[in-house]
Amino acid sequence: MPASGSSSGRAVWAILRKECRSEWRTRYGLNAALLFAVTSLASTSFAVGRMSDRTDVLAALLWVVLLFAALASLAHTFVRETEGHTMTLLRLVATPTSIALGKLLFNLLFLISIELVTVPLFLIFMGAPAPRWGPLLAILGLGSLALGAGATLVAAIIAQTRGRGALFAGVSFPVLLPILAAAVSGTRAQWSGAPVTAELRLLAAYAVALLAASLLLYDHLWEDA
Amino acid sequence: MSAALGDEGVTVEARALTHRYGHRAVFERLSFSFRGPGIVAVRGPNGSGKSTLLRLLAGLLRPSSGESALTAGGRTIPPRERHRWIGYAAPDLAFYPELTALENLSFAAEARGLSSPAKRGRERLRKVGLEGRENERADALSSGMAQRLRLAFALLDDPPLLLLDEPGSHLDDEGRRSLASWIGDEGSRRLVMIATNDEREGALAGQRVELGSRGVGDPA
Amino acid sequence: MIARGLLLLWIAGWIVAAFLWAPLVPVLGETTRVLYFHIPAAWVTVLALGWSMVHSLLYLKRRNLEHDHQAAAAAEIGLLFCVVATVSGALWAKAMWGAYWNWDPRETSIFFLLLIYAAYLALRSAIDQPERRARLAAVYSGIAFVSVPFLIFVVPRIYFSLHPDPLINPRGKVDMDPRIRVVFFALLVGFTMLFFWVQSLRVRVARVEHRRQGSVA
Repeated sequence: MPASGSSSGRAVWAILRKECRSEWRTRYGLNAALLFAVTSLASTSFAVGRMSDRTDVLAALLWVVLLFAALASLAHTFVRETEGHTMTLLRLVATPTSIALGKLLFNLLFLISIELVTVPLFLIFMGAPAPRWGPLLAILGLGSLALGAGATLVAAIIAQTRGRGALFAGVSFPVLLPILAAAVSGTRAQWSGAPVTAELRLLAAYAVALLAASLLLYDHLWEDA
Repeated sequence: MSAALGDEGVTVEARALTHRYGHRAVFERLSFSFRGPGIVAVRGPNGSGKSTLLRLLAGLLRPSSGESALTAGGRTIPPRERHRWIGYAAPDLAFYPELTALENLSFAAEARGLSSPAKRGRERLRKVGLEGRENERADALSSGMAQRLRLAFALLDDPPLLLLDEPGSHLDDEGRRSLASWIGDEGSRRLVMIATNDEREGALAGQRVELGSRGVGDPA
Repeated sequence: MIARGLLLLWIAGWIVAAFLWAPLVPVLGETTRVLYFHIPAAWVTVLALGWSMVHSLLYLKRRNLEHDHQAAAAAEIGLLFCVVATVSGALWAKAMWGAYWNWDPRETSIFFLLLIYAAYLALRSAIDQPERRARLAAVYSGIAFVSVPFLIFVVPRIYFSLHPDPLINPRGKVDMDPRIRVVFFALLVGFTMLFFWVQSLRVRVARVEHRRQGSVA
């Protein structure tokens, strides 16, 4: 008799470890994403210079760079499965929800890794004023959670189509836009000394809504081929 | 945790199962019921839907209409959980190229919630004659070895239902001979459905599903 | 046939009335006329989106391709009306406040709806198999359904408002001269009927296309 419900947790964990191991072995995903992030950051910094006084612009630029990095890399986890034809294997060992959660957790780790490099570099290159770390980290955390949830779901869709990077960016943009708006507003607020509770609430609510929708929708994602 | 067979009868049913690709019906209103253990051969010309039927039974495809059902111990297994009760091996089953043979199997075992995934993986590899290849990357395996790996994967948690699509493909003569005896062996322990046009494999079967160009099948 | 003719007369008649019979709103001057087209177009945009999303969900539940035809058709028509609403809104903004685009909440919301429509249709165009296309598009509809309220309500908190709120409040009371109100609601009904008519045409085309694909294959 097969194992029971607790194996969903194990499936998620197994998938997460598998993703990390695959990523480590090939490593092109993380390299490309970091390169992309640093390149966009460098271009921005070069074009705009130091902007210590314009925290509104800084907030926007930071999230644009992060968004670009996310759009350039978060689809890989599903595209690799499709191109390698390994979705069959995956679907035979785990439920759609477990697959989704495993991939989501991996994408979150991925995003955080990119942010660990990009955010400090951004603050330095752009001459940003010292942030209020509590609020900034909270925004980065919740923003990344929402970003991951939305992008992973859309990536799962896109991986089954003919389209790739450009389509992923275009199709996920409306879904990710509320995150961008709230995160930029919150980042600006933490620099101007205003409270960020409204933005944090918004990001949290959106993340929860996206995760709830995911739980319902992932079952329908892989039903053919 | 392995499957406890013997007292657990597994029944595989199709009820008016129809599947279409676009407008072309691969088969229509297919109905059958098989109870394990035993061997069932799914035969038919190319394009008659043998692979499609196995994918539908495995829960990988949703049928255009009708339904398939897997019952064990009186309980119908929902499609989402079906993967826990079956072993599936088909030519399109690909493994993660950057992981070794053993890592692929351990991952599968771990995801399925099985105990001692690495030990189980090793044991299955030994069973299909791949014990020396444990630590080779999956993309370094020859097609024959990859096929054995698929069979090892199918057997991973001793499933009551084995779905094998062209299991002899890529195997040399000796491989096919041992495969035939292996299938006969398994058929006494579990329900095995093989999609094949190979005479030798087909002869092992006690029952048949014939898929023809007309798309109507009948268990023999 | 008769219904089409009546619809044509209805809309045409009320457009004439809009220019000759209904008075102007003092603050808006001649630009008052835009509200008879802009707001009904925006309304149809939202109606079409809702129609499309409901049918997407129905497709996921029932797997009947007819629902997908409805969802796709509504999305195309919705996009069309969205463009009309956006452009008419921009023209109005230029006439009233001197700038075509200001990212005020209403403009921003209609732009986001445009993005959602475009994304949905772009996604559809990247999938060939009808069932997969229907299914994936429906899943995306589900995600968009979550995003839309956030897009509509996030925006007002972040950007300032240029919209003449006290005068035209789609949520609440319509504080207008009775004649304006009559023409407005008449055209609102007219546009809605127009949507359903074009929708039915588009769905019929979709059904025919689907059948034709079968015989060619």
